[in-house]
Amino acid sequence: MLAQSAIAQKEYVIGAFLFIVILLILFTYLTNKSIPLKFFLPGILLLVAFVVSPILYTVTMSGFNYKTGNIVSKEEAILQIKNRAFEPDSAGTSFDIKIGTHLNNPAILVSDIENKIYFISTDKERIAVPNTQVTLNEYQVAQSAPGFTPLPTDQLGSADSQYSGKRFIFKDEYFLSLEGLDVAIVARQTLTYLDKEDVFKNIINGEIYKDNGRGNYQAGSDSTAILEPGWRAPIWFENYTKLFTDSRFRDPLIRVFIWTVVFASATVATTFALGLLLALALNKPLFGRRFYRSILVLPYAMPSVMSILIWGGMFNTEFGAINTLLGTDIAWFQSANFARLAVILVNLWLGFPYFYLVASGALQAIPAELQEAAAIDGANPRQIFRKITLPLLLQILSPLLIASFAFNFNNFNLIYLLTGGGPRNTLDGEIAGATDILISYTYQIAFGSSKQDLGLASAISLIIFILVATISLYGIRKSKVLESFS
Amino acid sequence: MLFALFPLYLVIISSFNSSGSLQITSFVPTEISWNNYKLLFNNPAIPYLTWMKNSLVVAGLVALISVVIGSASAFAFSRLSFKGRKPGIQLLLLVQMFPAILAISAVYVIMERVQKFAPGIGLGTQGGLILVYLGGAMGVNIWLLKGFVDSIPKELDEAAKIDGASEVQTFWLIFIPLATPVLAVVTLLSFIGTFNEFILARLFLVDMESRTIAVGLQQFIGGQYSQNWGPFAAGSIIASIPIVVIFLSLQKYIVNGLTAGSVKG
Repeated sequence: MLAQSAIAQKEYVIGAFLFIVILLILFTYLTNKSIPLKFFLPGILLLVAFVVSPILYTVTMSGFNYKTGNIVSKEEAILQIKNRAFEPDSAGTSFDIKIGTHLNNPAILVSDIENKIYFISTDKERIAVPNTQVTLNEYQVAQSAPGFTPLPTDQLGSADSQYSGKRFIFKDEYFLSLEGLDVAIVARQTLTYLDKEDVFKNIINGEIYKDNGRGNYQAGSDSTAILEPGWRAPIWFENYTKLFTDSRFRDPLIRVFIWTVVFASATVATTFALGLLLALALNKPLFGRRFYRSILVLPYAMPSVMSILIWGGMFNTEFGAINTLLGTDIAWFQSANFARLAVILVNLWLGFPYFYLVASGALQAIPAELQEAAAIDGANPRQIFRKITLPLLLQILSPLLIASFAFNFNNFNLIYLLTGGGPRNTLDGEIAGATDILISYTYQIAFGSSKQDLGLASAISLIIFILVATISLYGIRKSKVLESFS
Repeated sequence: MLFALFPLYLVIISSFNSSGSLQITSFVPTEISWNNYKLLFNNPAIPYLTWMKNSLVVAGLVALISVVIGSASAFAFSRLSFKGRKPGIQLLLLVQMFPAILAISAVYVIMERVQKFAPGIGLGTQGGLILVYLGGAMGVNIWLLKGFVDSIPKELDEAAKIDGASEVQTFWLIFIPLATPVLAVVTLLSFIGTFNEFILARLFLVDMESRTIAVGLQQFIGGQYSQNWGPFAAGSIIASIPIVVIFLSLQKYIVNGLTAGSVKG
């Protein structure tokens, strides 16, 4: 059913997918051929539909010049270029009109007030109306004529798409094009599409626009002389090479990358340090330990979206609690360094309970004999901690430290909700803000500004993927090594 | 200790402050007013209860369904032998590392197309959002649950096999009862994770009425910290209470789950 209606809507890929899904389900649960598949199928199907296929789609997009101005398919682009390519006549003539229908086709009633000529025009014909048969309003604009049904006022809004972009017959190569709901201008086509050669030709001066192989029709070798819109064309690795060779893309990328690494390392270091400190302090039997523990875990238990937004309010320059408390007047999110400090501070608050929890667990796991032996050998508590406890802890927790690094490397929610990646210098058209990490930068490129570039964003996504995968695989191998020891 | 409590304390006193502004005149509460709370429940412009209900429904369904489906897959990965088991696990791990946020444009396009022929599960519907969440939750859950299944002694299902149980029976009668506490924890973790999810929900749920609490409150505050602070504070407190209670009461189990799996998101 769904598969059928998908194909009916010309969504062949999704339709085919659904069809295969149905067959697979029937095959798996009605026969006894494959028992593992009975367990797998739902999970695998969900993964393929909503995780694997988007990833493949992203990989594909990274090979295209998929960006604002090059969103549509080539056929659609050709159609739009044709429709947009007209110029007003030399006198800039315009007429008052009335929108309506003629024999149920969209039509306009045109009033050439100067020459006292009135006519109905559709996209196929022009029907002259004698002056005596029209009713005029006080501005001499025709309101009704025989054979013409004006559109009721309440339908004007929804009618826009039917009328704008339509060409109503005027005379010779000139036609009428709507400018708003009651004015039409006289214009003529400037470009014509030549099917065989796949080029656009300017009818007036004969200039030829050729497919430049990168998603636009271009005149000569001037890459700015292109026709809008373009289409999404395969440009293979250009998005990648651009990132590494073109300084306009390379420099912000390097800057963002460095900050991402700094941010993730600083977060891991600070959260681990504070968590460990608290775990050590609360490791001894202490009155009310359970109570302290519950309080320390609170930041972790709060839904993080809420906490980040709350912190956002606290850093507010004028009214925020932080400035009130410190007696300062710092514009936290307007200055690059303060914004960075704020981001790390908030993330410390969000993250230290995690390391507190895992570090207290790990402390219990270290055999007390080791520390006792060291004490007998005459080591003081500081030495014991530095030489015995810490190295052991680091070894136990290193997979978690790496996992935390990988997680914070892509900690989109924090950056997006707290600073939005800013401060950024939008006047210079800068996309990368001071606190943008790679992932929020990519989001900004793909969806943020008015010039969206999905192709480039996809390319960066893949680079991030490779980086994170490398880090995580390293972490996993490390934990495997540990397992084989124990 | 102070560092941990300060923001929470601040939100609580703000929520009882009748002026509803961000400005703190005193760090000691001078009054207790329920205005902000009343506003949340009576103001038709903030369908707070609907948001809360949406969040609970979406997160609840995702958590339950994903754990059932995920544990079936985890069981198969851990216990059944078949071709491509090892590459399957590795592939699962690799796929999971792809930053999900970056695939959202693709998810968006796909769901936009689905919308055309199946309006019930397309863009802008909670059904569609739940499906996408389920897909996203699979990787983590299968991985987490596989670890637990591995730790259940093999002798148990071998004994069941000798007694003539099929794989499906082993799964339902041996594995599920044994793993109930673990399943509960994974369910809760996915519930909390989904409750917290914000980007996809924001992209998907455009209608005021269909939003989840995270999106609703974020849009409500929308940079206008000074104006809506009081109701926002009250709203986030109420929204946090169930999560915090669940978390604190099951702390011990959740921590075990966390160290086995990943970092909270």
